[in-house]
Amino acid sequence: MSLVLPRRGALAALAALLMTPRQTRAFGQVGAFQVRLLQTGSKPPEGLRLTGAERWGWELMRRTSAPARLLTKVVAADEPALFDEPFLMWSGEGAGAPLSAPERRGLAQFIQLGGVLVVDDWDPDGGAFSAYARRELAELLPESSPLPLRSDHVVYKTYYLVDRARGRVEGPKQIEAIVRGGYAQVLFLRHDLLGALARTRAGGWAFAVEPGGFMQREYAVRLAVNIAMYVLCSDYKDDQVHVAWLLRRGAPFSP
Amino acid sequence: MSASWSITDDVPSWGVALGLGLGALALVLLWFELRRGGRFGLWLFITGALATALLVLAALRPVRVVSRGSVVGPRVVVLLDESRRLELLDGDKSRRERALAALPEIAARYPEARIDVLGFGEGPLRKLSLSAGEDPEERLGRTTASDLASALSELLEETGERPESVVLLSDGRLTRPESGREQSTLAAEHGRLGAPLHVVSVADQNPKDASVRAVRTAGAAVAHQPLTLTIEVGCEGLSCGDIPLTVRELRHGTEPALLASGVATIREGQATVELKLTLDRAGDRILEVAITPPVGDTIPANDRRLLSFNVARERIRLLHVAGRPTYDVRALRMWLKSDEAVDVVAFFILRTNDDDTQTQSDDELALIPFPVDELFKSLPTFDAIVLQDIDAVRYGINPHLGRLAAYVEAGGGLIMVGGGSSFSAGGYASTAIERVLPVTLSDADQAVDGAEFVPRYTRAGSAAPLLGGVRDLFGAELPTMTGTNRVGPLRSGSVVMWEHPTLRAGGASMPVLALGEYGDGRTIALTVDGTHTLGFSQFALRAAGRGYGALWDGLLGWLMREPRYESVRADVGPCIAGRRATLKLVTLPGDPVKVTVEIIPLGPSTAPLRAVESTIDADGVAEVELGALPAGGYSARIRTGDGPATRHDFACEEGGAAWADSRPDPARLAAIAKASGGALVTSRAIQQLPAAEATVVASERHVSAWLPPWLLTLLAALALGAHWVLRRRSGLV
Repeated sequence: MSLVLPRRGALAALAALLMTPRQTRAFGQVGAFQVRLLQTGSKPPEGLRLTGAERWGWELMRRTSAPARLLTKVVAADEPALFDEPFLMWSGEGAGAPLSAPERRGLAQFIQLGGVLVVDDWDPDGGAFSAYARRELAELLPESSPLPLRSDHVVYKTYYLVDRARGRVEGPKQIEAIVRGGYAQVLFLRHDLLGALARTRAGGWAFAVEPGGFMQREYAVRLAVNIAMYVLCSDYKDDQVHVAWLLRRGAPFSP
Repeated sequence: MSASWSITDDVPSWGVALGLGLGALALVLLWFELRRGGRFGLWLFITGALATALLVLAALRPVRVVSRGSVVGPRVVVLLDESRRLELLDGDKSRRERALAALPEIAARYPEARIDVLGFGEGPLRKLSLSAGEDPEERLGRTTASDLASALSELLEETGERPESVVLLSDGRLTRPESGREQSTLAAEHGRLGAPLHVVSVADQNPKDASVRAVRTAGAAVAHQPLTLTIEVGCEGLSCGDIPLTVRELRHGTEPALLASGVATIREGQATVELKLTLDRAGDRILEVAITPPVGDTIPANDRRLLSFNVARERIRLLHVAGRPTYDVRALRMWLKSDEAVDVVAFFILRTNDDDTQTQSDDELALIPFPVDELFKSLPTFDAIVLQDIDAVRYGINPHLGRLAAYVEAGGGLIMVGGGSSFSAGGYASTAIERVLPVTLSDADQAVDGAEFVPRYTRAGSAAPLLGGVRDLFGAELPTMTGTNRVGPLRSGSVVMWEHPTLRAGGASMPVLALGEYGDGRTIALTVDGTHTLGFSQFALRAAGRGYGALWDGLLGWLMREPRYESVRADVGPCIAGRRATLKLVTLPGDPVKVTVEIIPLGPSTAPLRAVESTIDADGVAEVELGALPAGGYSARIRTGDGPATRHDFACEEGGAAWADSRPDPARLAAIAKASGGALVTSRAIQQLPAAEATVVASERHVSAWLPPWLLTLLAALALGAHWVLRRRSGLV
């Protein structure tokens, strides 16, 4: 596989450099995918994993036709900017403080408007953040419980054909999700996806993948691309025309 | 003057019965008593009977009634068939002329009669004043139907004097009572009417004619679903044999499309043919069902029928093509998928040749080739197409833009949504699709403008029903857009809903949301890529995200001509070629508003035949006189105020349903006469009509007692006394 930066990648990087702090969006950019990190409590997410959000957008632009914005943005659950875009990543390490009432209200409205929230644990083995986030979301959405997404769910085929979820760690095979109106709106990962995508200033990968291997990181990137495509296209790849074609081609998944 | 007797004037009938009963009982008892024998038997009976009779008379007090009255001529009602069918010839005269000629003869047959001539056909009976010196042709109606059953029912419901006779003038080809049901329908009516229904046949010759007698469908017409037309073809007096038959759809701006054809093999004067066809477009559709008649056909006007079909849409089949996945694409897809009435076929470009997927094989990808050729060759199967931010040149759409324009011309709907690869930026300028869009495009202009702005409602946008949902949620406010495609001036006949606050196009504000019509189809240009912020944004939160659905409900609904998104509802009643046609418009009550109606013949030419201006009144109603139109299909293009135009397709027929079956039906007339106790005569033998009895009109009535009650009582007492004396002498007491 080529590691040479293709032309689109170079353009994307240039676009990221040119992006002003005020985030003025050019025509055609308002609908671009952006990984926005959710801040709850007073402490914003920090660390090298934030570069994983930029890398996520960069990989999306490099590999697909989807536009993306590469500047990492942190948005608080109780600020109006929460509703600027329909995608949020809520990730961290260890249990946090219970959500305040404005944070609960903001997140509830985000979900009700149709936003997609991906929850990921930077310490999947410990699982404290996952447990904390699940607990908070269970109070927020008491009528919906997380369910495993079957291997034929569209999120596994929105762009790449992915047989299981992978991140920095191999983690559980299936993604769990809260499904509302037939649409998986809250995805629960225990794979440290941002960790797999994070880069150092020197340009190398920030964290080693476990159990290891070049392909594990590649599969993590593919999962990230698929999640972005799921956010942008919803169940497009479940359309009968695609299913029929892929079945004719003998795609490795069952309908 | 006439005199008569009445047994009483003021005793109720039960009292009369009681008195007579008691008297009869007394006589019976007397008879049994006298049967035992004795002296004076006969005199005893006479006096007893006399006393009983006088007692009863004294109780009832009989009266003498003297009436003074006058005899007037009978009331005769003439029911004149006002169907246009009577314009057909019977020999050298039309059936109507024969009917009108019969009227003075009827008057001569009933010289003393008071004759009312009532026209029947559709709706209420019309009293016809056919006085001398007036052209009766001008005063007669021109109905399609001949509903005798309703006419008789209305006659029965009349208050006042019932007719002594009813005379029907018709050719027998009646709509009601249905053939074969004359007896069951008319016998009861005749009983209630109490008068015979005499029938005068005004035609007895079958014309030499081949015609489309009837067109029936099983169920409603639904777009994209096969529809079977059952066509009845008739032929009389000609070398009929096999008669070719075609069904065509009359379309706006293009030649009629042949939908089906067949051959009617005539046996015993008629044939029934079933033709299966599919109508792709919903709404008002005009079908022409035509035969090629044999030589010698005397009535060419009924060789073709022009029928208006209201084609329903079970589901909207929509093609959504997007050049790249964005939140704007996501919003539209999710809204389309949430609507159970929409079948979406979507193709999004997910990978371009520049993208590096980092795969060894395409088998690792869930991607399929963009079937651009296949898609654009099957355009007629879709009701609407959404092109969203897709480059026409890069993705090979360019060669199909002519086909796409033809698709719109034939009735398809098209929406172009803004983005970095839409409009001029997508290579659509100077292509066939440009002339279809409601805005002009230019290669020379800057393709996009990246400045933020808030679109502004135009006057038309502020009133248009299709944006009513958005206005209800946000009033006049709209969310901020991060730029727009640059487009040129509005195309003639199109209308702007939203405009740019600063950018100009051709001396006016640049359109942001514009609606247009091209041929049979409709198009929408939306030059921004940020309407998803009506569904998800801080702005959208104010309406719980319902703004996006409200906008697209209106856009797609208008594109699909849903009545609720039209400015007005329009209807042209039965339209007969050469006769004055009226277009009825209905909208919501409000201030009076000017309305312009253009009448455009369906066909290759899109030039209006005429334009009429009128005003919709405060009740929201207008009746627009269209004048006389030649036979054919038409589009009425209706524009109220500044709003988007509404289109209503209709047909004007030369013969129509009234002429479809030109044969008179004397057998039916005979059945009607028989069922209603009347006589059947021809228009040449009016004098054979049975007479009608004169009507006696009582004007004065005198009642006087036959004898004074005291005298009756005295006589009864005397008779009773005599009877008593005789009984004593005979030893009965």
